[in-house]
Amino acid sequence: MEKLLEIKDLKVSFQTFFGEVEAVRGISLHVNKGETVALVGESGCGKSVTASSIMQLLPMPPAFYKGGEILFNGEDIVKKSEKEMQSIRGSEISMIFQDPMTSLNPTMKVGKQIVEGLVKHGKLSFREAEEKAIEMLDLVSVPQSEKRVRQYPHEFSGGMRQRVMIALAMVSNPQLLIADEPTTALDVTVQAQILDLMKSIQEKFGTSIILITHDLGVVADISDRIIVMYAGQLLEEGLVDEVFKEPRHPYTKKLLGSVPRLDMDRMEVLHSIHGTPPDLYIPPKGCPFFDRCDKAMVICKEHMPEREYHTDSHYSCCWLNHSMAKKVAEGSEV
Amino acid sequence: MVEPLISVRNIKKYFNVGRGKLKAVDGISFDIYPGETFGLVGESGCGKSTVGRTIIRLYEPTDGKVFFSGENIYELSRSEMQEIRRNFQMIFQDPYASLNPRMTVEEIVGEPMEIHHVYKGHKKRNERVIELLKLVGLNEEHALRFPHEFSGGQRQRIGIARALALNPKFIVCDEPISALDVSIQAQVVNLLKSLQKELGLTYLFIAHDLSMVRYISDRVGVMYLGHMMEVASSEELYDNPLHPYTKALLSAIPIPDPEIQRNRHRIILEGDVPSPIDPKETCRFVDRCPYATARCREVVPKLRKVGEGHFVACLNI
Amino acid sequence: MEKTDLIYSEEMFKKAPQKLRDAETIRRPSIKYWPDVWRRLKQDKLAMVGLGLLIIMGIMSIVGPHISGFKYYEQDYSNINVKPNREYWFGTDELGRDLFARAWLGTRYSLIIGILAALIDLGIGVIYGGIAGMGSQRVDAIMMRIAEIIYSIPYMLVVILLTVVFSTAGSGTSMFVLILAMTITDWVPMANLVRGQVLQLRESEYSLAAESLGATNSWILRKHIIPNTMGPILVNVTLTIPRAIFAEATLGFLSLGLQAPKPSLGTLANDGIAGMPVGNFYQILVPSILISLIMFSFNVLGDGLRDAMDPRLRK
Repeated sequence: MEKLLEIKDLKVSFQTFFGEVEAVRGISLHVNKGETVALVGESGCGKSVTASSIMQLLPMPPAFYKGGEILFNGEDIVKKSEKEMQSIRGSEISMIFQDPMTSLNPTMKVGKQIVEGLVKHGKLSFREAEEKAIEMLDLVSVPQSEKRVRQYPHEFSGGMRQRVMIALAMVSNPQLLIADEPTTALDVTVQAQILDLMKSIQEKFGTSIILITHDLGVVADISDRIIVMYAGQLLEEGLVDEVFKEPRHPYTKKLLGSVPRLDMDRMEVLHSIHGTPPDLYIPPKGCPFFDRCDKAMVICKEHMPEREYHTDSHYSCCWLNHSMAKKVAEGSEV
Repeated sequence: MVEPLISVRNIKKYFNVGRGKLKAVDGISFDIYPGETFGLVGESGCGKSTVGRTIIRLYEPTDGKVFFSGENIYELSRSEMQEIRRNFQMIFQDPYASLNPRMTVEEIVGEPMEIHHVYKGHKKRNERVIELLKLVGLNEEHALRFPHEFSGGQRQRIGIARALALNPKFIVCDEPISALDVSIQAQVVNLLKSLQKELGLTYLFIAHDLSMVRYISDRVGVMYLGHMMEVASSEELYDNPLHPYTKALLSAIPIPDPEIQRNRHRIILEGDVPSPIDPKETCRFVDRCPYATARCREVVPKLRKVGEGHFVACLNI
Repeated sequence: MEKTDLIYSEEMFKKAPQKLRDAETIRRPSIKYWPDVWRRLKQDKLAMVGLGLLIIMGIMSIVGPHISGFKYYEQDYSNINVKPNREYWFGTDELGRDLFARAWLGTRYSLIIGILAALIDLGIGVIYGGIAGMGSQRVDAIMMRIAEIIYSIPYMLVVILLTVVFSTAGSGTSMFVLILAMTITDWVPMANLVRGQVLQLRESEYSLAAESLGATNSWILRKHIIPNTMGPILVNVTLTIPRAIFAEATLGFLSLGLQAPKPSLGTLANDGIAGMPVGNFYQILVPSILISLIMFSFNVLGDGLRDAMDPRLRK
């Protein structure tokens, strides 16, 4: 498996008048060609900041890179200039967002928006551009594409607009597609349509997808791997089958246990996690989940645990993995 | 036979929008029994939020009747309604917008008591506020802070504390968890469940997350474009859905288990939800229904009983 | 997973006691609304300059007329049209009156008239706009139509009418009449602003929540809507004051201002024109510069306030 994207120890912070807020606190991950990786976490955990960092879309101030590298096809894109990024964005790495209404220009016809980038870089003539736009609308299954290509965003429904967004993102056949909560704002029947669309696009073009979401159902539907993020750090990672069947981190376990499932017994209790994630203005020294973990140990407060690999692809960062922990637990049971 | 606490009879709410009448709620009837949770589900535009607000007369109804303990509340005068309002409260969807950013938590939770002149002095009222905060898992030191200092889940709990201030019998929960993170949703839902047990509350739980609705509700109603399509007990609806829309809806919900999800058969509905403005007098689901017949375009199907507590509005069942 | 510099003991792996784990406290300091606005305003240098100037001028308008040693109405025919010197810091006018004292007294009256007029605009505007905004569509439409009609009356006409009706024979009008003339049509923009805000905030979720609790319209207006409109209203007031002061100055300039010998910046400017052909430019420069400084200060302060309260510009 070839690595398309590799993030090494990325640290991103924001300078606010309170002081520094550490949004991303040293994360490392990779995305292979042709796979879908889900980055899962709750609001404030830093997943959107991570996605925006890859595209260098963060406003710099107040955001700044505190450290780390983002290697895309071997090159560190943190070091790239804005001009260099502009040629990467949209053509090699694309992004789709949660709210298609605000990401589409309401005063520009849909067809024009889709091929705008190509026309500007002089790659297409006007006639070719319109044909390409229709082709893209067909790809994303927008019916009556010849008619629709001349319409404005407000004439499309939410689901249709998201399809347009996908067309926009795929027009230059990018190697990597970052989808930031693409279906969160959609109805569940429309969500199903969009997820199927994304799956078929990946099959057709071999695009790698980073899926940012908090919906574990969506993850189970289209992802190959899942990475769990919390308070700016990664707690667990693995193939979806591995992590869903055998979650190792207490947070992952609780997360899976707090999501109601259609196939579970109605009388089964839903386990919630009490409290709220820590404020990254004063980031915790040790494991960020300490305050809410009912297996928390003394060491967890002071020191951040390192990765422990359970299989080649599945790791978790938790002191419970440490041999001492098992020893003490056994000792106290006697 | 237990008498229902709330009886909704054929309520309608139409809005006048420039190009026609938006029939958000077009003839909905159902009962809610004391101590139960009635879940109302549907996708965006189906009218479920409007139902909630119309039942408690936050919106004035276009037609219909709502009986609270036998009395038709639509016939009450403004001042009589003011009194009755103490029994119905509402929890809103957006925890960021439903709390006045300029008021402290103490003022927010104390407001209902102030409006209805429940306590004579500040001191007694504030004691009650602290009691309510503790009930929802917050504490005294939070009382003097402002909404923007709290997380979404905490704000929603403040909203719940406010709703409980007057000891209401019935609470309309209008998408109370949609704007919250997953692990916090469970927190809030568990809180609502325990409060229901402790205080004997009755809930109308409006949401679009069917998995969550199944978990918390005793009975569920499925809405589509202003009409009620199916009503059944929670168990029955999810085990034995009869309406084509209900079936499609249930199959679209992803289950957080990759192996199961891979092997599921999805009923994909073509197209999007049509507009609720000046709808034709047909079955509302006819354009997307895989079983539609010619008759479905001529008549609006009525909800009829097809089993114990199970009602469906479809001509083909 | 061994951290090389860490020595593990069994103690570390024991369960952490409950009180070490604290999931609900809020660690950030509490930010109240107005202190935060003030903090942001302080960052705007220009606004601070404006504020400083206003404070200085305010103080001078109180003490100024007294420190020069001359009374503002004292006429000294042996010292007419004296250019600014050690004795008469701003010079004298054609009746030998000390311009320093007159200028600062004039500033005092101009400020009072301007601020009072703006406050009256505020009062009427908030009440009128509040009622229109909260009322039914019909009430709103009727009220706003009336307001439009009132606003379209040319205000100069109103002023002249009133001064003719109310003034005593001779020069000038009383302060009361002046203020009345200025506010009679000037409250409309404020009412419009308030009405717009009310219409918008009426639909906010917290207003809806209050309604579901059984609150009456006036309760919602008082407790929820008005406090949340204070921001734009305050900005509007700081920008109305210079307008009112300039209006007063214009009236004074047209000899419709305060009764002599009471000076206002406008009447002083009017008097000063006579001095121009003979080269006594200081007579018109002094009041003009003061008017300009006041207007400038209020304007930059108002702009600064607007930016400080804009949630999108939060730093």
